[in-house]
Amino acid sequence: MTQAIDLQKLTFSYQAGKPVLAIDQLTIPRGRLILFSGPSGSGKSTLLRLLAGLLPKYGGKLAPGARLNLTAGECGLMFQDPGLQFALDTPRHELEFTLENDRVPAGEIPARVTTALKAAGIEALADRQLATLSGGEQQRAALAVLLALDRPLLLLDEPFASLDVANRHQLMARLVDQVAAGKTVIIADHDLAGYRQYRPLVVAFDQGSARLLEAAAADQRLAAADRPVTIPARPTAAFAPALTGEDLRLAHGDQELLVQPTLALPKERITLLTGESGSGKSTFLSALARLSPYQGQLIYAGKELSRFSRRRWGRTVGLVFQHASDQFLNVTVGEELALSQRQGRQPYFTPTKLAAALDQLGLAGLEERVVYSLSGGQQKKLQLLVMLMMGQPVLLLDEPFAGLDPASVAAVKELINACQACQPATIVLVSHQLAGLAGWVDCHLHLTQRYFTDQGRVDHES
Amino acid sequence: MHTTRYHLKDIILLALIGIIFGVIYYAGDFLYNGFTILLTPFGLGPMANDLTMGLWCMAGPLAAMLLQRPGAAFFGEFLGAAGEMFLGGQWGAANLISGFVQGIATELGFTFTGYRRYNWFSLTLTTLTATLVTFGWDWFRNGYAHFSGQLDLLLLGARFVSIFLFSGVLVKLISNLLVRAHVIKTVRS
Amino acid sequence: MNPSLKLFLVLIISVEVSFTSKLTVNLLLVAAGLILLLWTRPSGLTLTHLLLIPAIPAGALALTVGAFTPAHDWFFAAVLASRVYVYVLLGSAVTRTTPPLTLARSLEQNCHLPAKFAYGTLAAINLLPRIIRAVKTIKAAGQMRGVTLSFWSPRLYFKAILSAISWADQLAQAMESHGFVEDQPRSQAQVIPLTGRDWALGASALLLVQLALVALP
Repeated sequence: MTQAIDLQKLTFSYQAGKPVLAIDQLTIPRGRLILFSGPSGSGKSTLLRLLAGLLPKYGGKLAPGARLNLTAGECGLMFQDPGLQFALDTPRHELEFTLENDRVPAGEIPARVTTALKAAGIEALADRQLATLSGGEQQRAALAVLLALDRPLLLLDEPFASLDVANRHQLMARLVDQVAAGKTVIIADHDLAGYRQYRPLVVAFDQGSARLLEAAAADQRLAAADRPVTIPARPTAAFAPALTGEDLRLAHGDQELLVQPTLALPKERITLLTGESGSGKSTFLSALARLSPYQGQLIYAGKELSRFSRRRWGRTVGLVFQHASDQFLNVTVGEELALSQRQGRQPYFTPTKLAAALDQLGLAGLEERVVYSLSGGQQKKLQLLVMLMMGQPVLLLDEPFAGLDPASVAAVKELINACQACQPATIVLVSHQLAGLAGWVDCHLHLTQRYFTDQGRVDHES
Repeated sequence: MHTTRYHLKDIILLALIGIIFGVIYYAGDFLYNGFTILLTPFGLGPMANDLTMGLWCMAGPLAAMLLQRPGAAFFGEFLGAAGEMFLGGQWGAANLISGFVQGIATELGFTFTGYRRYNWFSLTLTTLTATLVTFGWDWFRNGYAHFSGQLDLLLLGARFVSIFLFSGVLVKLISNLLVRAHVIKTVRS
Repeated sequence: MNPSLKLFLVLIISVEVSFTSKLTVNLLLVAAGLILLLWTRPSGLTLTHLLLIPAIPAGALALTVGAFTPAHDWFFAAVLASRVYVYVLLGSAVTRTTPPLTLARSLEQNCHLPAKFAYGTLAAINLLPRIIRAVKTIKAAGQMRGVTLSFWSPRLYFKAILSAISWADQLAQAMESHGFVEDQPRSQAQVIPLTGRDWALGASALLLVQLALVALP
């Protein structure tokens, strides 16, 4: 086996003076399964791209003096967004494209395509349109490409973000096979749940620094991530409903995500939706916002959703998108705030209260900044603020706490409470992050096997 | 000297811009057909073509303002047309011819300013070249040569107004936003 | 027939038709295009679409020339209308018989088009569903803030272009990690032949059109 991967004095920054990664020394053993762990924005993904040779080529600067005993040609990288990593229309064509790039002789290509399809378990999908495949199937196609490339290092950047459990297990099993075959597999993931059984090594990232954890410390983290969190909640039936669903069906491509005979979302309360990633929670929110198609009925104020005009629906339902930048319409922070001040209907935000909120969220004094140049956390907080200011009677939050530190989460919750006290809204929230949500949410629906189960208990005092 | 090379990333971006504009003004197709039906009884049917021409010629000037290098406007129009050719557009391969003509038409304003100016002046110049070149093409293809001089003048005027408003004013407004967001680094004037 | 050759043949004929006014040639080409189109067994809907939608510009042109020009030149009106159909039918005959990847491979192999142009454009085409979804999302984000965005709103394009920039960046990185290196030779999974028969077929088709243009009224 070749020697371990060794990094020395690796300092990388996108903006001068603000390094996103500053590693003095890090040794990563080969032939193992390795997890890069840490909150979003801590530098995991940056290091993967550096290893794969995509950075600094695609932006940023590597400080001189860095040493790395690895060449980009040894790595294959799989990306977080399954839909943005294929140039061609079908898995077979993408595999052919990849092998052509590697100058594999024409005669060997068909056999190697078949081998890769088999190894990734997607022979049946070989000639399907990638755009119609589910996230999980697309990631398996991406794995097939990685296997076809046959590089000693497999790098995966948040590969399970949109995958359901079954697909995740399948993919993990294939990766464990690769480790057994002598390859090094590095996965970057902010969520450690579900990894303990594979006994990975853990590299912990924190604000740009990285260190390999001792076995005991690693196990402690992995075990903590698997511990279930209970959220006390009351049954949705205890409250008057704001939005009801009947015979509701949601699908992605030909994969059915939700089959729900009845559903009621309580009026002016906070309802938490949980479920495995890729189970369809976000799709459900986007159906409520009328951005995804659904079958069956969704009724608000006695009317089917589709009977509302787009304009009217926009004033009724606010969706806080998972990607903060999708929310913004202007260039600077000041302009975003001004737009919500002009159009917003939440009476809580008087000029004084708004100034206080900006202060509380750490956004004061940033009015001239370009929103897209803010840090991920700042973007998220600004996004939540401008949507709270709009004061829609229904507010949908898709992972509102992702990438926020505990203090920011507390500030956001406090602001939502203040708004609820002034002019309450029906809030529906999808969140992986459950810390701090106990006692704050009123109801809790859990999505498994295409069905939302009410987790509320009558005896709970919330 | 500014870069004149096109990397993979730039090529994808140019094709994407062309296709995005196609998607947004898919409404333009209805607009075009609607205008045609409305105007034909007055003998002004071809005017729909002139009135919507500004929409079809937006991708080129915008690509030029964004990438600021020779060929950007041409590729923006042409790659977009190549994309549309396969996206079920009714014109099929004929898209390529229009894309080619519109590509050259929108590139010229930047050529005439030596690829050194990406501002109001070069943009306005490009709306002029785009008007003249696309009109010249329709002179033959759509038989404008057979129309009365009066009608031709009217069509030319309508075309210029459309191209000026969409490929000029609107493109400038969009690139202003991009400049302020630091996507377009510097506007050299 | 070789895809590149087929494409160039149709382009040449389309340009030629634009500069000549022979009704019979146009009608012959329309007939040829129609036969080629029917050969691909289009669905009824596709066929109606391809035949009816061009009727709007064709009809408008013909009416304008025939009824509203001083000469009332109905012959030229028919030439113009048939010309529209030559474009549409020959153009779609190419796209319906040539998958994008085959054309890209042919252009790469037979015409030595740099691979980055061929595959960069294909990568963009394959993002179409995402582009449509993004435009919908931008419009919805506007509605939720009390702003209606339409095709004349700078902000709609601005947001869409920001997305495009990030997609182009990610796709290029993904293609690179799938082994693509600009300007480096690649092997060929499928060789697109360009045979003497292709050349002969293309040349005779072109010759036939020239003869028709000279000989027919």
